[in-house]
Amino acid sequence: MKIEKATKDQITRNVILSLFIYILPIAAMFITFLITGQRPWEKKTHQIENIKTITSKNSQNNGSND
Amino acid sequence: MEATIDFIKRIIDNLNGIGFPFLVFFIGILEVTFGLYKNKWPKNERWVDISCFILPKLVIQPLVAYYSLHFLPLIFSEAKNVFSWVPFFWGFAIIAVADDLTQYWYHRLHHQIPWLWRFHRTHHSASYMGMAMASRQNIIYTIFFSQIYLTAALVYLGLGIPAIAVRIIKSTITTLAHSSIPWDKPFYKYRALRPIAWVLERLISTPATHHAHHAATTDDGVGYYKGNFGNMFFLWDVIFGTAHISRQYPAAYGISHYEGDQWTAQLLWPIFKSKVEGSELAPNGPEVRIEDDYEALARREANRERKKSVTPPLTAAPVLSNN
Repeated sequence: MKIEKATKDQITRNVILSLFIYILPIAAMFITFLITGQRPWEKKTHQIENIKTITSKNSQNNGSND
Repeated sequence: MEATIDFIKRIIDNLNGIGFPFLVFFIGILEVTFGLYKNKWPKNERWVDISCFILPKLVIQPLVAYYSLHFLPLIFSEAKNVFSWVPFFWGFAIIAVADDLTQYWYHRLHHQIPWLWRFHRTHHSASYMGMAMASRQNIIYTIFFSQIYLTAALVYLGLGIPAIAVRIIKSTITTLAHSSIPWDKPFYKYRALRPIAWVLERLISTPATHHAHHAATTDDGVGYYKGNFGNMFFLWDVIFGTAHISRQYPAAYGISHYEGDQWTAQLLWPIFKSKVEGSELAPNGPEVRIEDDYEALARREANRERKKSVTPPLTAAPVLSNN
């Protein structure tokens, strides 16, 4: 049994529209960051750097708690 | 502050773990208590529902665990928690759209592409609505349930908490939409609540719109199995023109020409085939059986009545004396 042409066309149109809908919340988030000046990804990088610093100090103890 | 966030995270984790099975169990008890199955749960259907609820979990859980713990770290070794900086609100919005829109398409294509229909037919063969049939699916449909893997990937990328929050809300909405308890009825009945009803029925799946999708007939003003594909959000149906809103509940559910295929065929087709001649799950069955719904439904009801009259009623048993 074959898929009807009208259904096929509707699926194609709706898939294209869906791609925009998938992007919408991601685009809205970055627009909000742009307007408010927020840069949360930078905060995360700082946190990682801080953790690395602590880890390197600890690593001098060669894994020992003494 | 951190302690509060930790506390909220723990609540979300616990709800995710025990919340959904508890919700299904609780609503199921209510449905049975109120007699909402009305003797519509024969032995074969009970086997289909119970096996579909238990057996796929034995396959899916290890599969998702393997995918999350081995496959994703292997493919995206540097990407673990790469998006953990995304604020909760935005993470929630991104996952809600990605997860539910993907499921909308997965569901819709199983209805609109003829060769996919037989993998989803099991979910529609139940002639009743309720917790018993909510998990009723062919195992192939469950294994390829696309958004499970999408959500697992998003958790790996650092969006775990919003992903779990979406899952809790989505499970609640879809479970209540399948329930035979029409929680949306008061919203249509009382004038003051009608504006809320207008928004609700366009935004999320309600018993009225989702029951219409499970109706045995279509295009009759109430039933509409050609549309209403949305799971958490009904908005997708509104946007894509596949919505039908009637604020009524269908008189009959299921597939009009359904004649009770064996539970093995319903759970494991195409590995096991149905012995029901002419069934879509039978060895030489059609991809999609096209029949007049009203004629097929009349035949289904007549068969049911005949079976009832053959089975001796309980009152025919000898009454034991108290003496």
